[in-house]
Amino acid sequence: MKLNLWKLAANNIRSRRTRSWLTILGVLIGVTAVVALMSIGSGVEQAVLQQFEDIGYDILIVTPTGDEGSSIAATRNAMMAGMGTEMRGSMRPATEMDTETSGGIFDPSAIGQSSDSQGTGEDSTVAGQMPFAFSAENVDPERLVSMVPDVVQAGNYTTAVMGVEGPGASGFLRVSTPSASFLQDFPSFLGGWKLADGSGFTDVGINQVVVGARSADNLGVNVGDALIIRDERFVVSGILAPSGVAEEGVESAGEPQTGLARSGNTVLTGGRSTTILTGLTNTDDALFVLEERAAELWDDLGVATTIVRVAQGADIDASRNSIETAMSAVGTGVSVISVAEMAGSIQSTLGLIETVLACIAAVALLVGAVGLMNTMYTAVLERRQEIGILKAVGATDGQVLTLFLIDSGLMGLVGGVLGLGIGAVLSFVGARFVGPMLGVTTFSPLFSAGLIFGVLAFSFILGGISGAWPAWRGSRLNPVEALASE
Amino acid sequence: MLVLEEVHKTYHMGETEVHALRGVDLTIEDESFVVVMGPSGSGKSTLMHLVGCLDTPTKGHVIYDGADLGALSSRQRANYRADQVGFVFQKFNLVGTLTALENVELPLLLQDAPAGVARDKAAHALESVGLKSRMKHRPSKLSGGEQQRVAIARALVNEPRWILADEPTGNLDTTTGEYILGLLEGFVGEDRSVMLVTHNPEIAKIADVLVEICDGQIESLTKKSVKQVVTS
Repeated sequence: MKLNLWKLAANNIRSRRTRSWLTILGVLIGVTAVVALMSIGSGVEQAVLQQFEDIGYDILIVTPTGDEGSSIAATRNAMMAGMGTEMRGSMRPATEMDTETSGGIFDPSAIGQSSDSQGTGEDSTVAGQMPFAFSAENVDPERLVSMVPDVVQAGNYTTAVMGVEGPGASGFLRVSTPSASFLQDFPSFLGGWKLADGSGFTDVGINQVVVGARSADNLGVNVGDALIIRDERFVVSGILAPSGVAEEGVESAGEPQTGLARSGNTVLTGGRSTTILTGLTNTDDALFVLEERAAELWDDLGVATTIVRVAQGADIDASRNSIETAMSAVGTGVSVISVAEMAGSIQSTLGLIETVLACIAAVALLVGAVGLMNTMYTAVLERRQEIGILKAVGATDGQVLTLFLIDSGLMGLVGGVLGLGIGAVLSFVGARFVGPMLGVTTFSPLFSAGLIFGVLAFSFILGGISGAWPAWRGSRLNPVEALASE
Repeated sequence: MLVLEEVHKTYHMGETEVHALRGVDLTIEDESFVVVMGPSGSGKSTLMHLVGCLDTPTKGHVIYDGADLGALSSRQRANYRADQVGFVFQKFNLVGTLTALENVELPLLLQDAPAGVARDKAAHALESVGLKSRMKHRPSKLSGGEQQRVAIARALVNEPRWILADEPTGNLDTTTGEYILGLLEGFVGEDRSVMLVTHNPEIAKIADVLVEICDGQIESLTKKSVKQVVTS
């Protein structure tokens, strides 16, 4: 019997082919929107969280706050420095930074950059002197490890924008100065520190520089070439593998003479998530000089950010408090933020965006459902005589109800299947073409089994629910009246 | 045995009340060919609908083999229609999207009969009305007479005790009509009866029981076997 009802339902859909397809189209558009938006949303979220995971959730970032200003101001300073040279000229003092820029998002790749952070907006400042961001003292990593039991590793990391001259081009570039032990302890912080060419740092005694993939292209350097960094001659000892993080913003790399001085996280149009995406593990636009070497050459590198790894299983919040207390005891005010906090902040922002997108998609789906209900209602009116026939040959009210529910459910399901397919294609196209425009390339849409089966089940049920009222009305028809209708 | 006791049926058409039946008493023995005659609007179709459980009386009782049909639930009425009666209508009332064979299968499949059994029985029923070669055709590809034969096959397929036919020859030419009547006549037999509603006096001639109805009341009841005329 059931099979026959399915066949009857399918026959009915076929017999009103054009209207059925238009109805299915309505559902299809809604499902397509849901699938595309949700798969892209969860794909982006997964990609972002993966970056945090790569760095490690056992990592804390300690920033000296100095005498003036609160820890938030220090964080802002660090972030502002991270915004890099593209903001030069229009940069405002840290205290005037708007909340969106500073709202809990922290960009590790910006950490410790001191140039421009006073907001003078003059290129000469960047090119020449490296003014302090604030009068804070660096945290001594070894001391921190000895003072806080949960801290197993700590290392300092400084970034400054310096004038760089290469064989092919020159300009301002972000120069980071990790120590040898930092490289050993926290490679994940530098995108895994994977060398595409060369050997990395081999000798603290000589001027060696490791160049990020894109910087190497822009400068036109290979391993063994010479570079002038702030009047000092360096030999390129290694070139890093591309980090896989997106090209920054819309600025092309074609004009390194003027456009080279970006700082690795300067996607001003891409919003916060983009900044984080490109910033966290982006080594592509930076140069690396060993801290030990840099300290000998320059004495104005600015305040270092201290990266801390806590013991396995240690309570992150407790460790954080311990660090703040210990540093405060020795007179160094610090601001501590964990990778988990950063991830949480991003995740909640992405979650909000996803929810808004899902709501928009749900409206599309609702419109489709109303269209389906309309079609079913018309179908019941048109098929009154058929309902009468079915009842005359012994169909119960329940069987008539089931017939119409299957009918509308089938249309919902077909819309769901097609919408799933088209949504999948759209989201891949979106990831391929729209992603780069937003500066987000390192993600692919995520199709969980939950999403696929959820969408199919939901569209069938949606179809059923939309058809429920018309079907109920159909099932309650008096057979004599139904038979009398033309 | 079918017994109608003081049966009334009132329809509401907007604010107007239509008294289709006004106190019908009737007793019909099994294995009868009953013809109900009367002018349009006399209530003859309503009588058939009540006997076929397509509708329930407003007042009074329709009792079939001791069971009051008006007291049955919606589901029980559906089961009664499926098991006990088969309908044949003037306008054939076939499902247009199904083939002749599928139309005939329908009552069986609604009763959860296995697909193979349903198919065999339906094919056999179609064969018995001479439509073996037209089984795969949709109603729109069949002539009026053929459609009515499909409808009769559908009415027969569940082996009901009653065939209820409402003007079955009304849309057919004389020859085809006679063929259809022959089929219905042939159905009457062992525990099988036919109630045929018509206003064609010619058909009345083949009736075992002739019920003449006017304005919702039985005007006369003629039973061939006893040659008795009861005039109200």
